[in-house]
Amino acid sequence: MTTNSKSKADVLQGTLALMVLKTLDVLGPLHGYGIARRIEQISGDLLAVNQGTLYPVLLKLEQEGAISSEWGASENNRRARFYQLTREGRKQLQAETQDWQQTAAIIARFFQLKKEDWS
Amino acid sequence: MKSLRRFFARVFGSATHRSQEERLREEIAEHIALQTSDNIRAGMSPVEARRQAHIKFGGIESMKEDFRAERGFVLLEDLSQDVRFALRSLGRTPGLTLFVVLTLALGIGITSSVFSMLDALVFRPYPVPNSSSVVSLVGTTHDSSFEDFSYREYLDLRDKTTSYDGVVANSTMEAVGFSAEPQATPRIKGGMMVSGNYFHVLGVEPTLGRGFRPEEDQVPGRDAVVVLGPEFWHHEFASDPSVLGRAIRLNGTNFTVIGVAPDTFPGILIFAHPDFYVPLAMARVFTTNAHKNFFEDRDDRELAVRARIKPAVSLQQARNELAVLAKDLERQYPQVNRGRSATVHTQFEMRTRPDDGNWKFGVVFIILSLAVLLVACTNVAGLLLSRARTRTREIAVRLAIGAGRLRLIRLLLTESVILALLGGIAGIAVGYAVIAWFHSYRDVIFMSDLPVLIPFRMDHRVLLICLVLAAVSAIACGLVPALQGSRAAVVNGLKSADVDLPGRKRLWGRNALVVAQVSTSLMLLTAAFLMYRGFKSLVLNGTGFPTDHVLMASFDPRLLQYNDAQTRNFYKLVSQRVRETSGVENAALSQNIPLNDESFDALSFVPDGFQMPPDRDHFTCGTDTVDERYFDTMRIPVLSGRNFLSSDSADAPLVAIVNEQFARHYWPGADPLGKRIHLDSSTGTLIEVVGIAKTTNYMDSGEKPMDFVYLPLSQHPIPHLTLMIRTTNDPLQLVPPVKEVVRTLDANLPMMQTMSYEEFYLNKAVRGPGIAVKLVAGMGLIGLFLTVAGLYGVMVYNVTRRTREIGIRMAIGACSTDVLRLVLGKGLVLVGFGMVIGLVMGFAVERLMDSMLFNAGRVDAVVYLVVVPTLFAVTTLAAYLPARRASRIAPTQALRYE
Repeated sequence: MTTNSKSKADVLQGTLALMVLKTLDVLGPLHGYGIARRIEQISGDLLAVNQGTLYPVLLKLEQEGAISSEWGASENNRRARFYQLTREGRKQLQAETQDWQQTAAIIARFFQLKKEDWS
Repeated sequence: MKSLRRFFARVFGSATHRSQEERLREEIAEHIALQTSDNIRAGMSPVEARRQAHIKFGGIESMKEDFRAERGFVLLEDLSQDVRFALRSLGRTPGLTLFVVLTLALGIGITSSVFSMLDALVFRPYPVPNSSSVVSLVGTTHDSSFEDFSYREYLDLRDKTTSYDGVVANSTMEAVGFSAEPQATPRIKGGMMVSGNYFHVLGVEPTLGRGFRPEEDQVPGRDAVVVLGPEFWHHEFASDPSVLGRAIRLNGTNFTVIGVAPDTFPGILIFAHPDFYVPLAMARVFTTNAHKNFFEDRDDRELAVRARIKPAVSLQQARNELAVLAKDLERQYPQVNRGRSATVHTQFEMRTRPDDGNWKFGVVFIILSLAVLLVACTNVAGLLLSRARTRTREIAVRLAIGAGRLRLIRLLLTESVILALLGGIAGIAVGYAVIAWFHSYRDVIFMSDLPVLIPFRMDHRVLLICLVLAAVSAIACGLVPALQGSRAAVVNGLKSADVDLPGRKRLWGRNALVVAQVSTSLMLLTAAFLMYRGFKSLVLNGTGFPTDHVLMASFDPRLLQYNDAQTRNFYKLVSQRVRETSGVENAALSQNIPLNDESFDALSFVPDGFQMPPDRDHFTCGTDTVDERYFDTMRIPVLSGRNFLSSDSADAPLVAIVNEQFARHYWPGADPLGKRIHLDSSTGTLIEVVGIAKTTNYMDSGEKPMDFVYLPLSQHPIPHLTLMIRTTNDPLQLVPPVKEVVRTLDANLPMMQTMSYEEFYLNKAVRGPGIAVKLVAGMGLIGLFLTVAGLYGVMVYNVTRRTREIGIRMAIGACSTDVLRLVLGKGLVLVGFGMVIGLVMGFAVERLMDSMLFNAGRVDAVVYLVVVPTLFAVTTLAAYLPARRASRIAPTQALRYE
């Protein structure tokens, strides 16, 4: 049971990380809840993930140096951790966007294949 | 780069996890709060809003787990958690922990120090680069397969073989009179003659100066050059580099110092580090055999030959080549090489040669010490098993809240690993102590002027063994308890604090532990007692002559190439002038020092008119050559006939004095005086028995009465003699005057083995054997201690485990004697089993020791009469105490346990 959920989380983490980076790239510094809400909004609630899974991803990105974080005040006027894209993160986002588009293009071409294409 | 950065972040994360955890908690709280307020704004009630926020966030704990996994190394963190937990739980029972650590320390320390012994004797490689390619070339005959070669043979081996990158030769280490300045009195040092290519082929680069050149080993007597050994250089010359080019005096000849061997090469022998090396070509200065020509005689075999085998050549090829060469030599020189072949041995084969007892001794000791370690480990395993059992409930709780079995085993194993590590560290200390103890006996063991040494040391190899032993013992004593502990049934474990499911297998394992302990320590104690008894009988029997008030000093004028007349003259004068010294009662010359077992020769003879058995042409017995004052000086009574006289000169009829034992043996009931014996064979020279001396000990204080013949020195001149001086006062006070006498006779002649005979006797007969006895007895006592503690622990555990059962038995009418019998009986059955096995092992050890040490060849009943009841009494006591405690269990209390 553990292994199953883990592998699913791993798949999600890759795309989730990319979404986080893009969100921060577009909207600037945000706290965890903010990021979660934006991703939800943009994906049109299609992505019904547990919001909690976001935090391990944030930590991983921070350890890689793609994002940095600091304490700030939230809308509630309480302490919240604000995340921000670093230069490294921007580069990473560019590279991964390219990768992603390439992959997507390839997959898309495969899905367009018809039987006669093989003959 | 990225992964590296993450690695550091993770390591850092592991270290700072407290503040991280705090931060996460805060972030989550804020996240939930923000979501909740959004939900309220969307029109939910506060309670519902909060609930939805939590649902949306998902499992906080599982997320935290993911977060932690992301943050640091889970394994590392678990490990540090395990370690902290283990330390805490060990700290809760400091007595037990200390006992376990001590137990393991004893086992590991003793085993590792014995390993250092075996390592030095067998495994330690030659201290030269690429040592595995160095092999030994040896001659083989019908009797021995480890013969040395003569100089001529060495040249043949060097020049006519193709399997090697260089063939080198060295003499055994010999006593050399050394003085740093020409006028100083020489002292005895150990020198080694080596071939000119010795350092080059072995790959030894001198730290200072140079090694020998091949041409320095070509012309006999031309190049008087010397290379100093590193230790000798440090001690004798205070590491002074200006020693190069200086002249030192060896056996009265000046030698120029050309180099100093490096510290990494103290010498190639196990027990001796040469003080200096000289070329073989200088052999005339060092050989002591006046009747042989070192450079010419093919049967003057004094050289050990080693070679570097070429990488492409197999051992078998080298052997074949050498066998062919040996055949050629046999054809060419039939009179000296008949029946001789040659072969190649690796270092390991050389060191485990069957005719050498040292390494066998090492093997016996390592078996014994492993037995001690086995007892220690089984003991610790038993204790940990008991502990694991008392923790059944804790483990069941852990299992119930989801701990994996592997995780649990790891937790329990961590404990034993920590114990074993602590034990290993303390074991290193024990090992150091044992080795230091060995070293303190250097003078007793060797009693030599030469630089012989105890090669046992605590080096990185021994430390590694310590670690390996610690790791093995961690597994040995931790795995079984961990496996059993983690197998605890959850439901039963939670139900009651003290479960024992009827499992025959488990009990079998426990009982086997006790049986193993009892039998092993019985075996050890038997061995110790056998050695002790053998030793005791040696000391008690005495030697047959007084050992006090005698000073001894040996001389070897061959070192200075004296001829026979010079030698005779020197001994006449030295003996005469020493006798004239005040405080000297008498002085005598003798070929051998009494009880110096390795120096005695055997005499071959045939009693005149004796009917020889058909299968032999002569008898042998012990012999010594002494002058006419020997019997008076040593106070050995001549019981009948006469003493040697100064009239027994070389041209007078040959005479001998035999001991009573000899006389009784060959002429029972007849008067031995006037009887004659042939030397060597029935056609040999006739000598007449003129006196009968009392039988004493001759070669060894433990020997059985033996046949012995004294020959007069005047009729059998011998160059290497010992002056035995009987003094009126402390013999050591006479050392300076005797030295002065010798100096006035020849300033270049060194005095050897100058010590009181009492000291020599104590070292040889009392202290030396005492070491081995102490060693084995120590091991036996440790074994006994471990057994008692182990059995006691097991019994206590059994009682605790059966508290409830005993309570029920007593509640339904058993009295305390019944309980005592029940518990004690169980313990005694185990002791009995262990004793039977131990007796069998003890007999085996006795056989082994008989064949190797004492040659007694009989069962020593007294040993078993002492050891068995002692062990029985002690183990019974260990079993009785817990049993008594069991019999005092109050049923009301025991049943309230539930």
